[in-house]
Amino acid sequence: MSAISTDPRATSAQTAESPALIRERKDRRRALGLLTPGLIWMALFMVLPMVMVIYVSFWTQTTFAVNSDLTTASWERFLSSSTYLTAIWTTLRIWLIVLVSTIVVGYPVALFIGLFVRNKTLQTALLVACVIPFWTSFLIRVIAWRPMLGTEGAINTILLKLGVISEPLTFLLFSEFSVLVGMTQIYCVFMVGPITFMLGRIDISVIEAARDLGASFGTVFRRIILPLSLPGVMVGSIFVSVMVLGEFATAASLSGRKVNLLGNIIVSQVGSLKWAFAAVAGVVLTIIITAVIALALRLVDLRKEM
Amino acid sequence: MLTLSQISRFYGDTVALDGVDFVVPEDTYMSLLGASGSGKTTLLRLIAGFEEPNHGEISINSKRIDGQAPHLRDIGFVFQNFALFPHLSVAENVAFGLRYRAENPLSNNSEILDRTQEALKLVGLDGFGHRGVGAISGGQRQRVALARTLVCEPRIVLLDEPLGALDANLRARMCDELRAIRERLGVSFLHVTGSETEALTMGDEVAVLANGRITQSDAPDTLFSQPRTAEAARHMNAWNTFDGGLCGDALSNQEIAVRFDQMEVCAPGTAPQDHLSLKAQYLTGEFNGPTALSFFRASDGSLLQIIDHLSQPRLPDLIEGQDYDLHFSSNALRQFHGAA
Repeated sequence: MSAISTDPRATSAQTAESPALIRERKDRRRALGLLTPGLIWMALFMVLPMVMVIYVSFWTQTTFAVNSDLTTASWERFLSSSTYLTAIWTTLRIWLIVLVSTIVVGYPVALFIGLFVRNKTLQTALLVACVIPFWTSFLIRVIAWRPMLGTEGAINTILLKLGVISEPLTFLLFSEFSVLVGMTQIYCVFMVGPITFMLGRIDISVIEAARDLGASFGTVFRRIILPLSLPGVMVGSIFVSVMVLGEFATAASLSGRKVNLLGNIIVSQVGSLKWAFAAVAGVVLTIIITAVIALALRLVDLRKEM
Repeated sequence: MLTLSQISRFYGDTVALDGVDFVVPEDTYMSLLGASGSGKTTLLRLIAGFEEPNHGEISINSKRIDGQAPHLRDIGFVFQNFALFPHLSVAENVAFGLRYRAENPLSNNSEILDRTQEALKLVGLDGFGHRGVGAISGGQRQRVALARTLVCEPRIVLLDEPLGALDANLRARMCDELRAIRERLGVSFLHVTGSETEALTMGDEVAVLANGRITQSDAPDTLFSQPRTAEAARHMNAWNTFDGGLCGDALSNQEIAVRFDQMEVCAPGTAPQDHLSLKAQYLTGEFNGPTALSFFRASDGSLLQIIDHLSQPRLPDLIEGQDYDLHFSSNALRQFHGAA
């Protein structure tokens, strides 16, 4: 009976595929098409080099050459040297201070642009204004701090003229302080942007409702605005962290070689062709950055906020 | 008692409110009816203190409140979009005012909990306290917004189109509940809406806001059957307002109004002698179920509507494009002097 069945559904399913199936397959092909360039790029220029760096970090380093005999010597030297452990600590300390100072400087700016400026055009204009310093090169932005902070720089001259100090402040330039100032200025905008967008998304009537229920502005900020903007702070923190942890140029040009970050170590080791050792520092840095991002993502569930 | 006297508010050259005089008595459900863009929401925002009037005075029990910060006014505001705090649970939303208000906040957690529970019970949301505000329906969100406002026991509650975001079924139910809740609490509600049905159903008193002023404020049945101005009549969506000159010279240069259900239709020249009449072309009809609307165009271009009830049909068969005489008894007529 079933062999000679003339059920139209059965025959049509055999002869032609259902339109839904065809469409599903087409959608899947399109998704793959969109994904492929990114995947190839990531594989060639991120995953592969990363594996390579880990591999190289176990190579044998002699004074002028490196060969692929596997050894843990570079790792042992790195982890037992106080210079390098201090560099890790310096990197973490500078990262934390810069992170906090970009939040302290950036949050009020973002609060102003995102919440108090309700005109979208003006909002965009102000955000663009924050990016204007980026129209010049990174190096110029950093080096511009020298005439500002130097012994005969603008700040010292003004303070001397005002009689606030009797001799120039020397800690301003070529110190950890100048590195912190430089980094805060450069990376602040990466904090301002995400926080502004998050604040701009807060429905103004939510804030009015809180006011109407009797809360003062301070309370509204603490209980409503701040919690709702935290995902923005977290995204900004990830941006700033990734960039500050890998930094070397600001420290190189503003610290007078007094501040050694992991990034500076990599640069100098590569400069003296110590590939294995640079690779170790690179792996350590990657582990730190990964840990920091994982921690940040754990603190705020971004999936929920996007 | 909330009193507004000579309240004006401009935005640049645009006049939103132009000398509003308005009183909301104690223990009253007051509806405020106005078309969109008429300044209803502005009026509420001025009372709540989110904006300040350019002129005039707002007072509660003859104590002036304009100029005071919104969080010190002790006025409840229920937003059209509910404006719930998205990061807090239902119970935390309701407890917000009790816990964080600047003036005598509660610190006793069990008292806050009790009052929150009580407020949630009042709006029929018992047991929903732990839910996130994203995990409840539109009608439930509306109730949370209401509970959050009522728990603070404000001196007056302002509702900005509170039913606008709800579907028709829910709207009808919330209407009854809002009235019941208000009667239980004995606090005045000022309910702003663009729907005349909603305003007439809900209000102990209905005020009509038009051209930046309160044009009439009366009991619903009075307002509906005896509008004092052409604006008020137009807002009832039950009156034809037109130039009296269409019915003969005696009424010329006056705006007159006749209710949809008090106009009759007959063939040209057959209108009763004691009725006023005017010529108009039949445009089209609209069948709404229990009622049917017929649309006519008068000779000066104004649109007239006549309503026919299914149970008592009184219109002849009408042919689109043909002229008819519309007539009505002079008792049905309302004249507005100088309002045109």
